[in-house]
Amino acid sequence: MPTRAQQRQRQQASTRESLRIVNKKAAQRRGRARDGVFLPVVIATVLLVAYGCFVIWTASLSIEEASFPRQLLGVGIGTVLAVCAWNIDYRMFANWSHVLMVLDVLLIFSPFIPGLSYEGGGMTGWIRFPIIGLTFQPVELAKLVTVLYMASLTAEYNGTIDSLRDYLKLCVMLCIPFVCILIQGDLGSGIVVFVAGAVIIMMGGPKKEWVLSTIGLLVGLIVLFFAVNSITTAYFDTPLIAQYRLNRLLVFLDPEGSSSSEEGYNLLQSLIAVGSGGFFGRGIGSASASQSGAGFLPEAHTDFVFALLSEEFGFMGDLLLIALYLLLILGTVYIAARTESIFGKLVAVGIVGMWTFQIFENIGMCIGLMPITGIPLPFISFGSSSMMVQLTVVGVVQSVWRHKAKPA
Amino acid sequence: MDAQLLVIIAGLVLVAVVIISLVALRGYSGKFRFDTENGTAPRASEGEGNTPKVMFKGRFTGLIAGVGAAFALIVAKLWSMQMVSSDYYEQLAEENRTRTITTPADRGRILDRNGVVLVGNRPSLVVTAYSSLADDEVAVRHLANLLGLPYTAVRRNIQDNSEGAQSAHTVATDVSRRVVAYIQEHASEFDGVEIAQRSERQYPYRTLAAQLLGYTGTATSEQLNADTTDDPGAIAYESGDVVGQAGVELTYERVLQGIRGEQTVRVDANGNVTGQSAAVEAQPGSDIKLTIDLAIQQACESGLEKAFEAARQQGYENAGAGSCVCIDCKTGEILGMANAPSYDPSSFVGGISQDVWDQLNDEANKYPLMNRAIAGQYMSASTIKPLTALAALNYGIMTPDSVVTCTGYWTGLGEAYGQYCWDHSGHGPMNLQSAITWSCDPMFYEIGKGFYFSDGNTDGMQQTYREWGLGEATGVDLGGESTGRVPDAAWKKEAFSSYSSDDQAWNPGDMTNLAIGQGDILVTPLQMAMVYCGLANGGVQMVPHLLKSVVARDGEGDALSYEAKERLRVEEDSSYMDLVHQGLQGVIYEESASTAAHFSNIYQDGQQVILAGKSGTGEKTGEDEYGWFIAYAPYDDPQYVVACLCEQAGFGANSAMYAVREVFGAIYDSPDDSTVVASDGAR
Repeated sequence: MPTRAQQRQRQQASTRESLRIVNKKAAQRRGRARDGVFLPVVIATVLLVAYGCFVIWTASLSIEEASFPRQLLGVGIGTVLAVCAWNIDYRMFANWSHVLMVLDVLLIFSPFIPGLSYEGGGMTGWIRFPIIGLTFQPVELAKLVTVLYMASLTAEYNGTIDSLRDYLKLCVMLCIPFVCILIQGDLGSGIVVFVAGAVIIMMGGPKKEWVLSTIGLLVGLIVLFFAVNSITTAYFDTPLIAQYRLNRLLVFLDPEGSSSSEEGYNLLQSLIAVGSGGFFGRGIGSASASQSGAGFLPEAHTDFVFALLSEEFGFMGDLLLIALYLLLILGTVYIAARTESIFGKLVAVGIVGMWTFQIFENIGMCIGLMPITGIPLPFISFGSSSMMVQLTVVGVVQSVWRHKAKPA
Repeated sequence: MDAQLLVIIAGLVLVAVVIISLVALRGYSGKFRFDTENGTAPRASEGEGNTPKVMFKGRFTGLIAGVGAAFALIVAKLWSMQMVSSDYYEQLAEENRTRTITTPADRGRILDRNGVVLVGNRPSLVVTAYSSLADDEVAVRHLANLLGLPYTAVRRNIQDNSEGAQSAHTVATDVSRRVVAYIQEHASEFDGVEIAQRSERQYPYRTLAAQLLGYTGTATSEQLNADTTDDPGAIAYESGDVVGQAGVELTYERVLQGIRGEQTVRVDANGNVTGQSAAVEAQPGSDIKLTIDLAIQQACESGLEKAFEAARQQGYENAGAGSCVCIDCKTGEILGMANAPSYDPSSFVGGISQDVWDQLNDEANKYPLMNRAIAGQYMSASTIKPLTALAALNYGIMTPDSVVTCTGYWTGLGEAYGQYCWDHSGHGPMNLQSAITWSCDPMFYEIGKGFYFSDGNTDGMQQTYREWGLGEATGVDLGGESTGRVPDAAWKKEAFSSYSSDDQAWNPGDMTNLAIGQGDILVTPLQMAMVYCGLANGGVQMVPHLLKSVVARDGEGDALSYEAKERLRVEEDSSYMDLVHQGLQGVIYEESASTAAHFSNIYQDGQQVILAGKSGTGEKTGEDEYGWFIAYAPYDDPQYVVACLCEQAGFGANSAMYAVREVFGAIYDSPDDSTVVASDGAR
């Protein structure tokens, strides 16, 4: 006859055992692929990649550097990475904020590491893995890492940031990767990271006044910067920012008036390409008759790929692209809404912020809404770094969906 | 501050920030963990209203609003660009992709009245290069050495975009076949260098009629900027166009200039031609026929040389400049118009060098570019005497029978104002006709005096001169014509306005000087030729002209012929005209034995051709005399008028006479075989 204590012990053990079994069963059920995939996002991704590959194929007809097989290779590796990311329980990152931060900084500065750094064709910010000789743009991966890192920090507050101190801490933490990317010299990616992180913080539940005053402060700082810049330029002849850099940033305000500069020329060519696309576009195959085919459009397969796409497929083609992006982004928002875990929500909304801003900035640059910065258009631009990372990001989104259920 | 130091400081600050952040982050660890094995409930929520679902509801609305706004902005801008302004961008794209290259058209040729080519075109081998070659210093230096041109000049030519950036730029013209062969054999060393054939102006008779024909040059900035909107025939020039700059080349530019061919090409962003579309063939300009007769023109030129030669033999070392004009007085056609010294217009082909240009504009070289026949202004000297005689008859100053006795010194205005006749020994009693023949000055002094003191006709003489076309341009179809000057009291007052009133006064002496063509009167050789055309033609002057016809483009027949126009008509009593004619015939056959000898051997169809004419000698302080000789033939029904002026060549009868004789020799195919050399001619 077992004692009460023994009985209680056995009972407890069986309870623990049964809980373990239930959890395991639940885990196994979640593990089935059919349930672990949110189809709209997958469909949007597949269509976007297919669209992108088609555009790059047309570009490869006239642009030597746009190698179609290399793009396919990027898609292949990216798909493998996406499946891996999907299989990994993203929640493990929630506890790794400091590791993620170090990794982030290392990634951002890896192009400066001797032996890894790679500079070719006037590009900076690339690394080249020794021995295998693959080149990679680490700042692309840093975007994802920053999202995970900021989400893990913000999730600590469980959806409500009550103290200003905590809010400010988060802001400072966001500034670390942002400033690092600025130092590394990639303003465009820096702003993408900043916006993604800012979306996470805002979704993390700070008071509205804080957010508004932060935005006000940023605007004020920018205005102050230009004011001081004009004063130092006028009275001390020492501008805070070189005039040519300023012009490069502001060229989008007057593309035709500044077409003598390289940026102005590029922008004008991009505007011509987009505008002359019309409703149905000029079609493909008219290589010598098009802006991109005849070489007027710079970076037609990378940064200005949207202009190429617009010229070929016109307003209809643009609407299709934007519709696919909306499906992808709103699908991700849906996942974020349906996910119980705060960390999962924040990762998803961070990714939404990253995509939205990156798409807005890239397309906006091509049509003269935004300053010219060198960031790729997700899933479309030529370049395997971006393609691999963006597909991995989709994998992470799917992982959030797969692990959405509240654990028993 | 040192840039390196900045980087080090920034690096240290960064390391510090990372360390501090790590320390700060430690506080967060352990607060909240997921148990991925067994699952962990999130930190307890406080109350129903605080479940994540409720908490995040408003935030997601905001997020979706933000995403929606960004995409709406993009779609709106795309709508405006691709739906509203698509045509505008389409047009910009078209401008981007196409360039227009022009191909030069051959200029029309200039022919003489019989179709002999005076100015033609010749093919010229040119070396051209695309502007990209300028970046290759080695190749440019190699090319420069080969062409014998300075490196900088070659480089400048390559970079000159005046022919259009997409076309090859001319580096050197008239390249020798040796150089061409070398370039073709070493084509790999001269990437972007091409040999092309162009058409350049060619002058088969070199300096012949150079001032008349003119020269061509690349369009001046004035010609490029000329407003062509109001003038339908005006040519809109492009930089680098070859344009007539003087003489007939300038006057008939619109006929001679062809129409540029245009080739629209597709280009890529680097300016490389990727394809061709619409092309318009260049249309050569029309050939024009001049009234010039090559044989007569050549005689004008060689006659001037003979006149200078004769003058130099008489010791007139400064002889060498002059003009000789031959006109058909019935039609106004200019058969010959020579000027000395002359120049070779081919030195303007492909651009004239500064050295040559300076030489052509140097006084020491007697201004070879000057068309003295129309732009040179000289005192008419005794050649004006027929007009003075007509004026005297018309205004009743003299009658055909009036006699003035010449003693060699005329004191009609008082002893203090005595004037010599050119023949100091005196001509004895003279009537008007013999005064013309012997060029006897006192008769004309008397006429001048008579006008000066006449009642109401004080400027009757000047009136007559003006009626005969002096003091105004002849209207010849050449640019740069001078008007000459017929001086009168009003002119003198104006011209001497800065002098004392005594100097401004029109004196009897001015009038007597004017009567013999000395003093302040100025005429051009063509004006004097026109006066004698009028005398020969019964008072009618036709507008002198050079264009005979424009040849049809197919070379068959004329597209356009010049129609003779009357310049002016003077009604004169025929008996007065006969008096003048006879006086002028006497000049040739009576006044001087040597003139008579040279002009008595002209025959046409076995019949002697009778001429009439007048010599003249202008006197200019500090210079040798300016010799005139003007004659017309045949006497009965005059057709040809030849006028010649030789600067500083002595008496007209001893210098200019030879040129006139040479021209009539050419007209009637009767070379001058007289060897009489005498200096007995009248002034």
